[in-house]
Amino acid sequence: MNAVIARLTLRQLLGRRRLLLLLLLGGLMVLVALIYFLNRAASGGEAGSERFAGRLLQNFGLAVLMPLVALLLGTAALGAEIEDGTAVYLLAKPISRTSVVLTKLVVAAGGAVLLTGVPVLLAGLLAAHGPADGLVLGFVVAAAVGSVIYVAMFLAFSLLTSRALIFGLLYVLVWEGLLAGLFAGTRVLSVRQITLAVADALSDAPTTVLDAQLDLTTALVVGAILLVGATALAIRRLQRFEIAGETV
Amino acid sequence: MTDPTPIAGVEPAPAEPVVPAEPVTTPALAVDHVSRWYGNVVAINDVSFSLSGGVTGLLGPNGAGKSTLLHMLSGFLRPSTGSVAVEGTPTFGNPEVYRRIGLVPERESAYTFLTGREFVTASARLHQLADPEAAATRAIGHVEMAATEDRRIGTYSKGMRQRIKVASALVHDPPILLLDEPFNGMDPRQRLHMMELLRRMAAEGRTILFSSHILEEVGRLAEQVLVIVAGRLAASGDFREIRRLMTDRPHTFTVRSSDDRALAAVLVTQPSIAGVSLDDGMLTVRSTDFGAFSRSVTGLARRAGVSLHELLPTDESLESVFSYLVRR
Repeated sequence: MNAVIARLTLRQLLGRRRLLLLLLLGGLMVLVALIYFLNRAASGGEAGSERFAGRLLQNFGLAVLMPLVALLLGTAALGAEIEDGTAVYLLAKPISRTSVVLTKLVVAAGGAVLLTGVPVLLAGLLAAHGPADGLVLGFVVAAAVGSVIYVAMFLAFSLLTSRALIFGLLYVLVWEGLLAGLFAGTRVLSVRQITLAVADALSDAPTTVLDAQLDLTTALVVGAILLVGATALAIRRLQRFEIAGETV
Repeated sequence: MTDPTPIAGVEPAPAEPVVPAEPVTTPALAVDHVSRWYGNVVAINDVSFSLSGGVTGLLGPNGAGKSTLLHMLSGFLRPSTGSVAVEGTPTFGNPEVYRRIGLVPERESAYTFLTGREFVTASARLHQLADPEAAATRAIGHVEMAATEDRRIGTYSKGMRQRIKVASALVHDPPILLLDEPFNGMDPRQRLHMMELLRRMAAEGRTILFSSHILEEVGRLAEQVLVIVAGRLAASGDFREIRRLMTDRPHTFTVRSSDDRALAAVLVTQPSIAGVSLDDGMLTVRSTDFGAFSRSVTGLARRAGVSLHELLPTDESLESVFSYLVRR
C-alpha cells in the first residue's frame, strides 16, 4: 500500500463524471424502492414486501449495479492511466509493482463497496420495511464481497487488454447472464452466483426470495480463488509491463 | 565513449578498506547488442553503445526506433536480445533503477487535475525523499516554474508541461536523465532555456541522453551523437564529425539554365561530379562533394557562356541524409 498512489487514484476515479454516473445508477435503485415504500404505506399493506426487496436487490442491485460499478472503477483504476500514458509517471518510481497493484485494488474495491453497498442498504431497508430477517444485511455483505472480487477481476482484465471494458461486459452479460442460465457448470465461475450464495446464507428469508444455486462453501472457495488469482495475475502483468511500441 | 576495461589480471592494490569506491569502469548507460522486435517488425537491430557523463543526442528520423531505445533504457520495454543496463543493473523489471534515472516521456499526458506543484511533490513522495516539499521547490526552481506552480497542469501550455515533466524527473536528483523529444512544442525561448538547463545538469556530472529528429537541436546541445536510422546505430561520436559526414555526402541537384546540354558537357568533366543526366529536358547533377560543387558551379557556367536559372537540391530530406549514413 502506498498513500500517495491511493490519494492520486481516489482523485482520478472520483474526480470526473464517472462518480456522478455511478451515484445516479445507485440512486435509481433507491428511488424505485422509495416509490414502492410510499405506495405500500399509502395502501397500508406489507405482505410481499420482502419478496419485492429480494427481487429488486437481486435483479438490479447484484445483477446490474454491482457489476457496472465494479467494471467502471476496476478498469479505470490502472487501465485508464496506462491508456492515457500517465502510468509512466507512477511506474518510473522505485516502488514495487505489487504495491502499486494492491493500492489500486484497495482504493477501487473500497469505492465499489461504498457505491454499491450504500444504495443496496437504503433500497433494501425501504423496500422491505426494515432489515427483514437479515435479508438486507445479507445483500449488503454479499454486495461488498462481490464488488471486491469483480474489481480484482476487472483490474486484471485492464492489464491484459486495452478493451477491458468490453471483455468485462461480455463476462457479465454473456457468461453470467446467459450461459449461467443455460449450463449449471458455468455458475461456479460466476461472481453473481457467488454473491447470491453469500446473501442466502446470511438471511433467514424463505428460499423463494433468493435464487441461490451454489452452496456457501463452494462460493467462498471459488470467490477466494478468483480474488487471489486475479490479483496475482495483475501483479505479474504489471511487473512485466511494456509501453506500446511506436512501430505497432 | 566507452570507459576502458581494466587490463585482465591486474588486480587493484588492496589499499585500506575505507572507501569501497564505485567501480569506475561501469558506464552509466550500457546497451549491448540489443535488438527489439514486434512480431515481424524489427524496431531496434543489434545496437551497442555505452555512455558516461555529458549530453548525448539520440538523433534519427521519426520511427527510427529512438523511443523504443529510450523505453528499453528506462525499463519500459524488454530487449528481445542483448542487454540494457543502468550503472551495471539491468533495467527491465527492476523498479529500483528509478532511483538513478530521471525519465521525461514524450507523451504530453500528465495528471491534468493536479497543479504543477502537486505533481512534482507527488513525484518526490513516490521517491520517498526525506523532504519532498523542499525537493519539489528545488526542482521547480530548476525549470523556472515557481510563478505558475499552483496552476492546474490542464491549463499549462505545451512548453510548460514539458518543463514540469522535467521538474518531476529531476526531483530526486538522479545522476542519469533520459528525455524523449524534450523540445517538442517549445517556443525558441523555452527551447533555449531547456538547453541551458540540460547543459548545467551535465556540467554537474550527470549523464544526459535526449532524443530528437532535428539535427539543429542536437548540434546546439549535444557533445556526442548517436545517429539511429531504421533501428540501426548508423553513426556515433563527436557531433562535428557526424555533421561533416552529412555535409560531404553526395548531393543531387536539378538545374535549369539557358543551355542545359552545354552545361552538362562542362560539368561532367569535373572531379566533384559523379553523374549527369538529361531526362525530359531536365538536367540532374549528382555531386560527390557538396562544398566543391557549390563553389565551382557558377564559375563553370559563366565560362561556358551558360546562365543559371535555378539550382535545386532534390534530395534534402532528413531521411535521405540518414540513409546515406547507413549505406556508408
